[in-house]
Amino acid sequence: MGNRKRTGWHRVINGVNISGFFVVLFIVLPLYWLVITSFRNPADLGSVQFWPNPWSGANYSQAFVQYDFGQYFVNSLIVTLSATALVLVFGTMAGYALGRLPMRGKFTLMVTLLMISLFPEIAVIAPLYTLLKDLGWLDSYQGLIIPYTAFFLPFAIWILRNYMLGIPKEMEETSRIDGAGPIRTVWSIILPMALPGVFTAGIFTFTAAWTEFLMALTFNISLKTIPVGIATFGTPTEVPFGTIFAASVVAVFPIGILVFIFRKFVISGLTSGAVKG
Amino acid sequence: MTTADISGTAEQAQATAPLVGRPDVNRKRMARLGWAFSAPALIVVAAVTIFPIVYSVVMSLSNVTVTGSGISLNGFTTSNYSLVFQNSTWHYALAFTIIYTFITVFVELVIGTMIALVLQRLTAGRGWMMALLLLPWSMITVINAELWLYIYNGVYGVADYLLNAVGLGHPNILGTQYPAIVALMIADIWKTTPFVAIIVLAGLVMLPGDIYEAAEVDGSSGWSTFWRITVPLLRPTLALAVLFRVLQAFGLFDLPYVMTNGGPGTATTSLAILGYKALFQNLDFGTGSAVAVTTALLVLIGCLVSLRAFKVQVGKEGN
Repeated sequence: MGNRKRTGWHRVINGVNISGFFVVLFIVLPLYWLVITSFRNPADLGSVQFWPNPWSGANYSQAFVQYDFGQYFVNSLIVTLSATALVLVFGTMAGYALGRLPMRGKFTLMVTLLMISLFPEIAVIAPLYTLLKDLGWLDSYQGLIIPYTAFFLPFAIWILRNYMLGIPKEMEETSRIDGAGPIRTVWSIILPMALPGVFTAGIFTFTAAWTEFLMALTFNISLKTIPVGIATFGTPTEVPFGTIFAASVVAVFPIGILVFIFRKFVISGLTSGAVKG
Repeated sequence: MTTADISGTAEQAQATAPLVGRPDVNRKRMARLGWAFSAPALIVVAAVTIFPIVYSVVMSLSNVTVTGSGISLNGFTTSNYSLVFQNSTWHYALAFTIIYTFITVFVELVIGTMIALVLQRLTAGRGWMMALLLLPWSMITVINAELWLYIYNGVYGVADYLLNAVGLGHPNILGTQYPAIVALMIADIWKTTPFVAIIVLAGLVMLPGDIYEAAEVDGSSGWSTFWRITVPLLRPTLALAVLFRVLQAFGLFDLPYVMTNGGPGTATTSLAILGYKALFQNLDFGTGSAVAVTTALLVLIGCLVSLRAFKVQVGKEGN
């Protein structure tokens, strides 16, 4: 579309353009604040400074030495990676079935799953807590991995099903005529074609599990994940912001890289009708 | 199968529909395979979401006592609900959650659409901008909360610094009811607007270009093109984004928990905060469950009201 054709547009967008610039600032400035504060000297956080003077790594060493941030990071990584792996295995199978196989009532099932994915966690937290307590699974990895898997599966199934629908039918038929069984068909024909969908579902699940707070806070008192760890840094009277932000920069890092590398998939996941924050 | 069987079914099939027969058997087998493939996922989801929801309903309708080893249910009662419905804190939390949800989603939608319109016009650096937008979206909400807590801090927070610089002194932002609510909303809007922007942008990109050319030939101005063409065409995208955001925002917990712990007083106590406090601070599983169940019920009503939108969404991709 040439610029001339959008003269009408031009005016609208130009009006918005200036505010658009401020909106970008609105996004960037808090992040800038987070990063520079993490590099300030923890002893003199008591003033507003727009540039760290001098730069200091003390907050980082404090996060890892005084607070057990390394352990929280490992805990988060174990829980998140396990849940993501389980979600992808179960979700790919279910997504294939719901997208391509002639099951009765799969439409209703899809609508139900979509609704479950929006249900507030508070509705299930008390029964899950007592259940996990009975099983002796409070403060355990599986006590978070299994709830996360269940909670993030519906949305992953939704993304995967939509990708499965887009694969041409002939692919399976050819494979079947060649004498391949259903599992081999899924593994060697469908899965490679649905790989973008698997990536998308993977990123979404990873992000959801990495950032989850309410269940981690309730079920795991001593086995803390990053969000719980960061929320409980310091004492009731003193919040060590420098340390918190140093830990935050480290926590944002893996997911930032992941999202940046796979941004195409994230955006396609967000836009293929898969709308969830 | 013997040859006789095959010819028999083949003959019958011929009489009704010529293509039924083996495909039908195959279809049944494929359906069974479908259930087998879905079973692990469905079992896990049912066990960890549907069963606990049912159990929450049972607890909310029982006399619950918390013992050292767990909880015990002693008979049916509706007193948990009457307690909740008569409680003024619950009334406030309900109103707060609803108003908070609608205001934040509305602002996110307006600013998100503005960002999307700007991004659509960018010819270079759009990928970078998208990546930038994804950063707040992928951020841990607790970190977002701590970050804004620091910004609002009364001694060395930059918000305080700026307010003082424009002559407003040092207001106790998070310690006063309305400023605290607005402060939470700003933190929420900061994190979620980029996500709305990406959805709107995707909708914008898919709009047909020739319709704009026609509008321009007809002499339509920028504003009226936006309101008469862009907004109506975007409506399905926007409606779905809004629906999902509204239902999701209803579970508001992380932000007020870290930033204000529901305070000052009960100023920022959302339904989820109220339920959590009743359950795990007062160890009152009966009323806590009643709060949780009513919250879930409101979300369910929201879902059922918009059932058509869900069905359209599922159907759009399928069949």
